[in-house]
Amino acid sequence: MTPRNLSRALAVAAIAVGVAVPAAAQKKGGTLTYTFHPEPTAMSTISTTAVPVSLVASKIYESLLEYEGPGLKPLPGLAESWTVSKDNLVYTFKLRKGVTWHDGKPFTSADVKFSIEKVVTPFHSRGKTYFGEVSAIDTPDPLTVVFRLKSPVPYFLRAFQSSESPIMPMHGFTADEIKEGKFRSAKIMQAPVGTGPFKLKEWKKGSHVILERHPGYWKPGKPYLDQVVLRVIPDGAARAIAIEKGEVDLGPMSALPPAEAQRLGKLPSITASQEGSEGLGPIMWLEVNNRSKPLADVAVRQAISLAIDRKRLVDVIWYGQGKPASGPIVSGNPNHFDKKLKPLEYNVDKANKLLDAAGYKRGKDGVRFKLTQNFLPYGEEWVRQAEFIKQELRKVGIQVETQSLDMGGWLKRIYTDWNYDFTSNFTHNYPDPTIGVQRAFISTNIKRGATFSNSMDYANEKLDALFVKAAQTADGPARNKTWEEIQAILRNDLPVIFLMEISYTHVWNKRVHGLITNGVSMYSNWDSVWVD
Amino acid sequence: MRGGTVRFVLRRLAQLVPVVLAIAALNFVLAKLAPGDAADILAGQMGHATLEFTEQLRREFGLDLPILEQFLAYMGRTARLDLGISLIQQQPVVELIADRLPATLLLMVTALVLAIATGVALGVAAARRQGTWVDNLISVSALLVYATPAFWLGLMLIVFFSIRLDLLPSGGMMQIGVAQTAIGKVLDVARHLILPAATLGLFYAAVYARLMRASMLEVYGLDFITTARAKGLSEGTIAWTHALRNALLPVVTLAGMQVGHLLGGSVLIETVFGWPGLGRLVFDALVQRDLNLLLGILFVSSVVVVLVNLAVDLVYGLLDPRITHK
Repeated sequence: MTPRNLSRALAVAAIAVGVAVPAAAQKKGGTLTYTFHPEPTAMSTISTTAVPVSLVASKIYESLLEYEGPGLKPLPGLAESWTVSKDNLVYTFKLRKGVTWHDGKPFTSADVKFSIEKVVTPFHSRGKTYFGEVSAIDTPDPLTVVFRLKSPVPYFLRAFQSSESPIMPMHGFTADEIKEGKFRSAKIMQAPVGTGPFKLKEWKKGSHVILERHPGYWKPGKPYLDQVVLRVIPDGAARAIAIEKGEVDLGPMSALPPAEAQRLGKLPSITASQEGSEGLGPIMWLEVNNRSKPLADVAVRQAISLAIDRKRLVDVIWYGQGKPASGPIVSGNPNHFDKKLKPLEYNVDKANKLLDAAGYKRGKDGVRFKLTQNFLPYGEEWVRQAEFIKQELRKVGIQVETQSLDMGGWLKRIYTDWNYDFTSNFTHNYPDPTIGVQRAFISTNIKRGATFSNSMDYANEKLDALFVKAAQTADGPARNKTWEEIQAILRNDLPVIFLMEISYTHVWNKRVHGLITNGVSMYSNWDSVWVD
Repeated sequence: MRGGTVRFVLRRLAQLVPVVLAIAALNFVLAKLAPGDAADILAGQMGHATLEFTEQLRREFGLDLPILEQFLAYMGRTARLDLGISLIQQQPVVELIADRLPATLLLMVTALVLAIATGVALGVAAARRQGTWVDNLISVSALLVYATPAFWLGLMLIVFFSIRLDLLPSGGMMQIGVAQTAIGKVLDVARHLILPAATLGLFYAAVYARLMRASMLEVYGLDFITTARAKGLSEGTIAWTHALRNALLPVVTLAGMQVGHLLGGSVLIETVFGWPGLGRLVFDALVQRDLNLLLGILFVSSVVVVLVNLAVDLVYGLLDPRITHK
């Protein structure tokens, strides 16, 4: 074996046994430039958790834990260790010594208590989901934080991601901002002070953001990169060109149009990967108004589901960037997905028979009934998907008329007016189905005006009880049993027509290394990413 | 400046106030007609927000108040030239506009100067050689450019000059994260400006070329040109000294009217070239129902348009001494 072959073999072996590539391969220095649009409106997910903000803020702020793998196994972060009481009601975190904020001041337990109590719980969009059960946060000393819960929260240890519960400096807010509760408009939202590996150097609105290395970062030798730069390029084709030319290194989270991502992925200098977003669990479905016939009829919904060729949808409309859906939980979720499930069936004959049996006979023109469809106004693919669905349903005698609305109009029509037949929709499982799945299907969330809630008016007492049970059981086989039951019920009832698990595609130049680390790789802090 | 002109300008400026306020009021009504509000959008964007959270946002934004109260508060603020805080970005609207306006003005003015210079020169050239191959070439090219969608033209210019020839950057306004001298910075911005200004300018150049040609031909038919020819003046002097000044009036009128159009019309160009201007900001403000930001930008652009129209009226007087301002 030549030395070159030997080193290659060793590298392969190292990867095979899950060992990090030798440190010598990792280069220090350099700049990673990524592009995304729209540009972030703030530098903290307290202002909004929209993707562009989460992308940049996760490099600046940290939370108590870091995570490994697609299933988000908790690792030490700002907390170097933690213990959980037997009854799952008390979580004690030991904080790391010697951590400093970007302005040099020391990080203490008071910052953690302040952040969770005053900022994250009331102002983060999922704050109450994660911390609603917290009855008290004690700080017996500057390096200890104790969370006391009213009842167990099975996903509590997954709450400490930097985009979900960023720890912010108490001294970063003015007395007035704290007194008047003006957290969302606080100065620190635009001029961040975190503990993360990168700090804000320059933000030219509409053009770019430059983050630079935080020299006092607590991990020795990290981060590898000197700078992380965001270039705001509003046009999808222009973003692709910038990556193709090497002006930009990375287009994360499907920043490129699917066709461009597929095209660039074939170039020798570029990688297009769909890994690293399992912890977000993006899923797309047709949201169906269950209020009146024919859609109130479960046979009709099952027929619609059978009439759609999901594989073609994925390949033709989305250029292969996804997988046919099997139900409400994405198959990439290693903790809760029922591995016995296959993607939902495509069978036009069966669909026709179901509709015949349900009493919806074809008229002279071959039409059984007419429906109106809306689509999520997220871009071209969604329009093409609507055309595709129209064609598919035409095959089983359902005539579809498509209606176009912008985001404001769409949200109002679906979630406030409930005035629709069906619409494409896209949401996330998040790290736990109690957070991401329950909200769309539990009947207590049929609330006029609540966005991405149970707009379908779907109410199933048995399912409601199962959701409550899953929310109170510690993660493990018993809880998974409950999730299996939930998945079976939803696959049968089809209050929505599950279409596909959208994959976030990340496209990067091969000079970039170490991007995919866990199920929320793009929202990780990139302290171990390096460039050639 | 003569006393008459000063009085004219002052009177027009005074008339401007009610016009701008009326535009502001109309903008509010139109913006409110769109369904949905910023609280919905922000809550939707954040994913999995509770209804209480959405309502909390609505209260923070003052969108829970009766519409008349919102309108009066808005008009009161506008009259005091206070454009408020952006609902989505939570920053003063004035600052957000000030961040973007210079880039838009730079692009707009460059494109406009380019368009007028090219358009006028080509229009005059075509008119002087009416019916020849030069005229045909200019007319057909102008028609072709006019009919080409600007975003497509932009992308093609990127493909050619940026990817194939690797001469110019594909987008942005400057190199990022590179230390440069002051002159270096100017040159860098100029390099980034070429393609977007050319794309935007070409379209208007085509319009002006066609207009200028028609206008010149009309002037060529007038008696004073015949007189000039009879006096034995050269064709060059007749075209550039006598005919041009008269033929320019419609071009000036159109250019003045198009400033408003340019402010909005640069959205596509700014999008394709990632130019950090106002166009994209107004589009995002509209889509996100960021009422304060949207109304703020519309207010500023209406003031700009009204002022430019006043300037156009003054330019008339310079071009044509027969026009006096009373």
